[in-house]
Amino acid sequence: MGEEKDLLDSLLMELRRGTLVLSVLSQMKEKKYGYSLVQSLEGKGVSIDPNTLYPLLRRLEKQGLLESTWETGGSKPRKYYHRTPYGEEIYQKLKIQWKEMAEGTERLLREDES
Amino acid sequence: MNPMDQELMRRYIYQVVRRLPKEQRHEVGLELEELIGDMLDTGQSMEEVLTKLGDPKKFAKQYQDDKHYLIGPEYYDSYLWFLKIVLLCTAVAVLVVSIVKGIQEGAGLTDSNVVQAVVTSAIHGIGNGIVNLLSACVGAFGAITLLFYIMERNKIKFEHKKEEQWSVQNLGESHTDKGKGWTPDYLAPVPDKRAVISRGDSVVGIVFIVLFCVLLIFAPTVFSAIIKNGDVISVVPVFNLEQWHIILPVFILSLVVGLGDEIFRLIMGHYCKPVMLSNIICGSVQIVLSFVVLKVFPLWNPDFAVELKRQLGGQIGPSAESFIDKWNGDVASNVLFALIALITLAEIGTSIYKTLRYQGKQPAL
Repeated sequence: MGEEKDLLDSLLMELRRGTLVLSVLSQMKEKKYGYSLVQSLEGKGVSIDPNTLYPLLRRLEKQGLLESTWETGGSKPRKYYHRTPYGEEIYQKLKIQWKEMAEGTERLLREDES
Repeated sequence: MNPMDQELMRRYIYQVVRRLPKEQRHEVGLELEELIGDMLDTGQSMEEVLTKLGDPKKFAKQYQDDKHYLIGPEYYDSYLWFLKIVLLCTAVAVLVVSIVKGIQEGAGLTDSNVVQAVVTSAIHGIGNGIVNLLSACVGAFGAITLLFYIMERNKIKFEHKKEEQWSVQNLGESHTDKGKGWTPDYLAPVPDKRAVISRGDSVVGIVFIVLFCVLLIFAPTVFSAIIKNGDVISVVPVFNLEQWHIILPVFILSLVVGLGDEIFRLIMGHYCKPVMLSNIICGSVQIVLSFVVLKVFPLWNPDFAVELKRQLGGQIGPSAESFIDKWNGDVASNVLFALIALITLAEIGTSIYKTLRYQGKQPAL
């Protein structure tokens, strides 16, 4: 059964990966640091491994969707991220797409159940 | 944080960071330190935290961009094929040259039997040739890989440009609206059968280039007259071996340019404007370099005729002697240059002809 589990895992991962960017962007209106994002996402039922999130944040920054600043005021230096105007624009567009997609998929699944 | 935890963290971060590009290491290190600190604050132990973060190798992989390869899947097949041909060719050529050299040097001349003498010499030659064989194959491997690598990098640049254009324009459009992105108009026509460049076509060119390379590198002395005067064997080289260290690099450069052209043709797969252009440029470069080698450099051994006559002494008749007198480096250069220019121009002509002819013949959309 190991094979079946592997397959399921990899399919799930693919499914999740697609929504990850959207999930992260949605939380970035206010500036947040990496681990607070992990926790807030987890609290809202979206779990993400830190070893996926941190590289993703960097990637989004490189793509110009996020911006980061190091803040050294607290007990230790922290890197805060927030959406750029460009990121905002992309996020809004992605959101519309997502809603359409989710509705479509939902319709398909309901049809199958009835 | 106790020293033991500190050390564990240092080790973990090092294992991630050392796999990343240099310019990212410092900042990613700081990020990880922040992350691990935050996770510890939730009450987990260092061991739990690091276990949760998982194998540093995998963590590092998430940070890496996807272009961590020399030759991508698109060219990999051609690359392997090219390598096989070139390595095979190089190996055979070097072996043959080694055998010939062995026989020339006549290590087995003390053997009584002629066949035995030749065999002994040949084996001796192969023995000496093993090192050459290895270095030649490594060199060939490097040259091919470098050429393919250059093509690969330029392809990536090109495709990234395309992607950028695409993503900015298209993100806002719904999936049904394909009007502004890629359209079927972008489809390149299927090349005419007669314009296709097959691997078979390339083989001849590659084999020729490799053989020439090997001969020039390992056997400039093969091109020489060998005279046995009693027990003394003297060798009179045709080429000017004293200047060889200047001449050889130019020769090789010219051949590598040719090889690059072959690779590009093969990758494109059919005659088209880029292939034509590459052909014209590489061909011109080759002609210029040939001119430099043949007409500007002191390619030929200036004392060849004199030396040969001296070595031969009275062993030859007057007809042979007058033949040697006719030897003239300039004439040889002219003939060779004319030949090279002719072949190269013919190749350029072919690709211009095929490109223009078969590209124009596509049905209009």
